[in-house]
Amino acid sequence: MLCPPGGDLRVDDVASEGTLLAQGAPVVRLREHPGTALVAPMAGRVARVVLRPGRRLAEIVLFREAGGDRHRHEAPGSASSEAHMRRLMHSAGLWIRLQRRPFGRLPPPDERPAAIFAMAADTRPMAPDPRLALQGREEDLARGLSALARLTDGPVLLCQQAGPALVENGIADGRVTIVTIGPRHPQGLPGLRIHDLRPAGIDMPVWDIHAEDAADLGALLATGLLPETRLVSVAGTAMDESLLVRCQPGADMRGLSHGHVRPGPHVLMAGSPLDGREAHWLGPRDRQVTVRPRARTARPHWFIQALTRSSTQAPVIPTAALEQSVGGAFPAAAMIRALASGDDETAMKLGVLSLLEEDLALADYVIGGAPGLSTLLRRMLDRIETEYAA
Amino acid sequence: MMRGLWDRETVALILLSALMPLALTWLWFGGTQAALRLVLALVVSGLWHMIFMLARAQPPSFAGAIAALAVAMLAPEELGLIRLILGISFGTVMGELVFGGWGRNVVNPATVTLAFLGFGFPAAPWPDLELPVAWAAIPAAAIGAVAGVMSARLLAGAGVVTLLAVTLGADLDRVLPAAGIVLVLLVADPVASASTALGRWLNGVVYAALVVMFSLEWQGAAPLQAAVSAALLASLAAPVLDEAAIALWLVRRKGRHGRI
Repeated sequence: MLCPPGGDLRVDDVASEGTLLAQGAPVVRLREHPGTALVAPMAGRVARVVLRPGRRLAEIVLFREAGGDRHRHEAPGSASSEAHMRRLMHSAGLWIRLQRRPFGRLPPPDERPAAIFAMAADTRPMAPDPRLALQGREEDLARGLSALARLTDGPVLLCQQAGPALVENGIADGRVTIVTIGPRHPQGLPGLRIHDLRPAGIDMPVWDIHAEDAADLGALLATGLLPETRLVSVAGTAMDESLLVRCQPGADMRGLSHGHVRPGPHVLMAGSPLDGREAHWLGPRDRQVTVRPRARTARPHWFIQALTRSSTQAPVIPTAALEQSVGGAFPAAAMIRALASGDDETAMKLGVLSLLEEDLALADYVIGGAPGLSTLLRRMLDRIETEYAA
Repeated sequence: MMRGLWDRETVALILLSALMPLALTWLWFGGTQAALRLVLALVVSGLWHMIFMLARAQPPSFAGAIAALAVAMLAPEELGLIRLILGISFGTVMGELVFGGWGRNVVNPATVTLAFLGFGFPAAPWPDLELPVAWAAIPAAAIGAVAGVMSARLLAGAGVVTLLAVTLGADLDRVLPAAGIVLVLLVADPVASASTALGRWLNGVVYAALVVMFSLEWQGAAPLQAAVSAALLASLAAPVLDEAAIALWLVRRKGRHGRI
């Protein structure tokens, strides 16, 4: 199953329904960048293609075919040219696992970022431990990171938690650097680390990628085969027990949680309880399924409503909890004021361009979600993007 | 939807419960007179909150009770009913509600009320608070700081300056109890104080420095009057302190990254 990262992808060359595809074979190409493909996460038959008007990809469903093939990409080895490697990442569907800041979209095909962050730490609640996912894949990871170093003029920063180093510090001529980060959320959020170490700017894009995806790149370079699975955690209050599974990207979340969900209505979310979104399939960058009981939405008493509902949003009180929810990365109250009043310039000074919705998800949770900081942030980023594109 | 608990009303309630040691000790020593003043302040402040809810769809807040408590404890005595009502109304409306309610105000409404009453009716004597009430400010501050609704930095900043002044030989015995109560009730309000780490330190420092200065140089001022004036000036200075702290943060960041 494939569903688009970031929502709005116009596609061409869609594999028609009924086609048999090998694992890793291209299914669609992006209209804007014809070199970039989304690939089949498993060997299977195309069951359903749903396109919205304007050939915008909604979803493509594959049925698994037992004993299917694996698509072999042209493996250039680790000594290939940069152009070659970019082409491989595009055609093997690894490009869509990159995330670009500012604005959080897919990076343009020939962009050279100011730095690349490989996240080997995930502090979100109930997230799978990347160290576990990378066990026995150190060589692939080192190869992948060295390959990534060729895409940028800046450093490749591997963020990991305290413990033995996942790769040797300073591989690729000292371009790959290990950054040790703390164990508590939100210390493991890529946005806050980028804000801290290499702030992104309009003309200083910074990419981030999960370390497991970097290891996938390493494996792809060595063998020409795209690794089939990733480590995904299935957890939440509606589960009998938390699961840690290896499954293909874009898996059906109902399938993953099947048989372990407590009786009663529940919600499946791709992502952590904080920043997850209700979905049917895992996204290309998701490594977490959260299963929560569906809350009954009873209308509050009319008097309570009269007391609490108003035309303007309740203000945020600057408490210690708020400060900690952004990890002390920036003056939280000032940033929230800038976000709420739409003061783009101040927010950019404070480093809003390094942030994405997920970075404010914890703050949103902590303050009870009243002004919807993630929504405000997205609105501001979109506004800045159109202003600077013009 | 999952929600954390630090929305405006929970913060107000936590703040209110942090102030309980102070309030209860004061009620214990103040007796019926104190209770009546508190009820009056609560009723007037609550009425204005109600009016703004009905007229402007502005949700009322428990923070009104905090302001009412501060006014009841600290307002000058022998003012008479009308003047007290006038003062509370002025503070609640002009200090808080016209800005959009608690969280959007610049100065603590109780500070506005007290400054208004103090400067408007200078003949009225300021109350003398019992010493145990001042001691009760310490657990109140501790609860507030541990819960994170009062800034530990602000309290520490004020404490450091006070200690420094005392070691340098300043005679603060008379003003200290009042200054402590005002610090907890008015200055440590998370909304009216600075919101950055450095700004909070500075805010506490500024408040304590003003208290020390007033107590040494302001002849004939009641301790409470000096403390309330210091609180008013400190909270007016808070946005500047924040601005300065952010500017400094930006300079350091620029130094580290070569750009903003």
